[in-house]
Amino acid sequence: MKRVGVIGAGTMGRTHASAYARMASAKVAAICDPRADVAEEVAKSFSARVFTDVEKMLAEGEIDVVDICTPTITHADYVKAAAAAGKHVSCEKPLARTVEQAEEAVKACEDAGVTLFIAHVLRWFPEYRKLRELVKSGAVGEAVEVRTSRGGPLSRGISDWYADLKQSGGAVLDVVIHDFDWLRTCFGDVKRVYARGLYESGIPRMDYALVTLRFESGVIAHVEATYARPSGFVTSVEIAGNEGLLNYRNMDSMPIVIECRAKEGMSSGVIVPESPTAYDPYYLELEHFITCLEEGRTPDVTPRDGVEAVRICEAALTSITTGEPVVLR
Amino acid sequence: MHAFSYAAAVKQLAGVEFVGIADPDASRAADVAKKFGVKAFADYKELLSGDVDGVIICSENINHRPDVELAASYGKHIMCEKPLAPSMDDAWAMVETCKNAGVKLQTAFPCRYHPAFIRLKKAVESGDLGKILAVKATNQGKCPWGWFVDKKLSGGGAVIDHTVHVMDLMRYMTGAEPVRVYAEIDNKMYGKDFDDTGILTVDFSNGMFATIDASWSRPKSFPFWGNVKMEVTGDQGIANMDMFAQKVEAFYDKTMGASYEYWGDNIDLALVASFVRSIAEDTPAEVTGEDGARAVAVALAAYESAKTGKPVEISR
Repeated sequence: MKRVGVIGAGTMGRTHASAYARMASAKVAAICDPRADVAEEVAKSFSARVFTDVEKMLAEGEIDVVDICTPTITHADYVKAAAAAGKHVSCEKPLARTVEQAEEAVKACEDAGVTLFIAHVLRWFPEYRKLRELVKSGAVGEAVEVRTSRGGPLSRGISDWYADLKQSGGAVLDVVIHDFDWLRTCFGDVKRVYARGLYESGIPRMDYALVTLRFESGVIAHVEATYARPSGFVTSVEIAGNEGLLNYRNMDSMPIVIECRAKEGMSSGVIVPESPTAYDPYYLELEHFITCLEEGRTPDVTPRDGVEAVRICEAALTSITTGEPVVLR
Repeated sequence: MHAFSYAAAVKQLAGVEFVGIADPDASRAADVAKKFGVKAFADYKELLSGDVDGVIICSENINHRPDVELAASYGKHIMCEKPLAPSMDDAWAMVETCKNAGVKLQTAFPCRYHPAFIRLKKAVESGDLGKILAVKATNQGKCPWGWFVDKKLSGGGAVIDHTVHVMDLMRYMTGAEPVRVYAEIDNKMYGKDFDDTGILTVDFSNGMFATIDASWSRPKSFPFWGNVKMEVTGDQGIANMDMFAQKVEAFYDKTMGASYEYWGDNIDLALVASFVRSIAEDTPAEVTGEDGARAVAVALAAYESAKTGKPVEISR
């Protein structure tokens, strides 16, 4: 039984806490958030202790595991603090705001001998598992060109931190880091990155980037990152191989669409497409993490994976700023 | 590739006399001419000497320049298949020659005539999308084989073949010019001596950026020839165009295959109609030779970028 302390009681913190709560071998022991009332409200449903200070939770929370679900710029410091306290760590993606910080966080965990897991949840999305399985099986021969797309309107977070692109890294570091990590699991390491985007544009509450990756394996990938959509969250993947083509679009894969007539005062009805699965990907990724801790195994997302995903993002942001390709290896 | 479609358009249009089909391969000329019920010419000069106002040139890319120069020397108006030429020297020479000869040179960019694109352009021009920030485009098709994959005749593979359509749409839609190009290009789809895959990133004079997927990445089993798609991002909205989305999805036991049966407008017909109109009314070509040249410049810059690993500035 692992006792988990969750730092950050926002959307991700709640999602992670409720996933742990459903596991036989984990318990949500503590919730930490500087907003005491928010922490209190979330902790209540798990009978967890409430903290407003991370150091205090690490010292007194009687926990084995720390789960970090806070704004990106705080990740590395919390990972280091947790490692120093001898706790295993799950850190929400991205592992850190910069490669340097990410490497420091990894080193702190290595030095302390604790397990570091980075919550690259996309790996546990069934459609992405299916796509990777198909690619790896050679269903379309050798992959040659890959296109992915992800995004919606800008996320709302505490103090609107996503909107500060320097803090959040914008749609590149916050959104398509998912695709970058997943692409690495399919095609290996990235050799070269070129990107154009709005990172430096100063347009309020908007970001958009088009990133080209050249993998060491030769695969060319085009990744669209958007915080520019007026509505809806859209993802897609296309993998062109020398013996076939795989195509996935989330909006074409909704097995249930519920459409209600307009209620009084509304000009039109509401359409809600959904793609339910028996186990949600957040549960599956954290169950994997807890199982690895219980069995002393290394999680599928390694600390190096966490660093490399940030490295690709950083290269893309550099390329957007300089207008030049960035060679990684 | 498009000769049959253009020929059918000429046949169909009112007020146009379809004089004939010329091809150095006499038996091919005869076969096709018979199909359309017109005269066959084994020598271009024979056709050009006759009572002809305009010609449509659908020869291999490398032959566009000599064929255009020949037609211009006979004082004929010209519609030339894209890409206009495999080199900038050729492309600008063709523009110059036609100007000096006083004949119209139209580049065959039919996509401008698709109602979905016309609607998109209107949305951009009306300001509904706000300031245009980025365009993500694809022109992905099946490998056309034939002379298209023989670089001696085509001047390049998928990138020169498929960059120019969407590049022209971007220029026409925004009025901005491409200024800088980066590209990753490869040949791993077929592993042969021609590029079959390319992702271009282009900066424009108005500050917007765009990517173009110019590839022959649709497999043999794909139910359609390919696509022309553009996703436009503005600061007040986005627009998605899928030019050939007007289709019926068909599944045939006879071939054990699927097929997209397109029912949208015939853009080749609209293109040929514009060529005919410009001759009849003596108005400038709606899609000019210069448009053709400027689109080719981006494809050629992409090849250079892929070779050097650096972004390439477009000079002219």
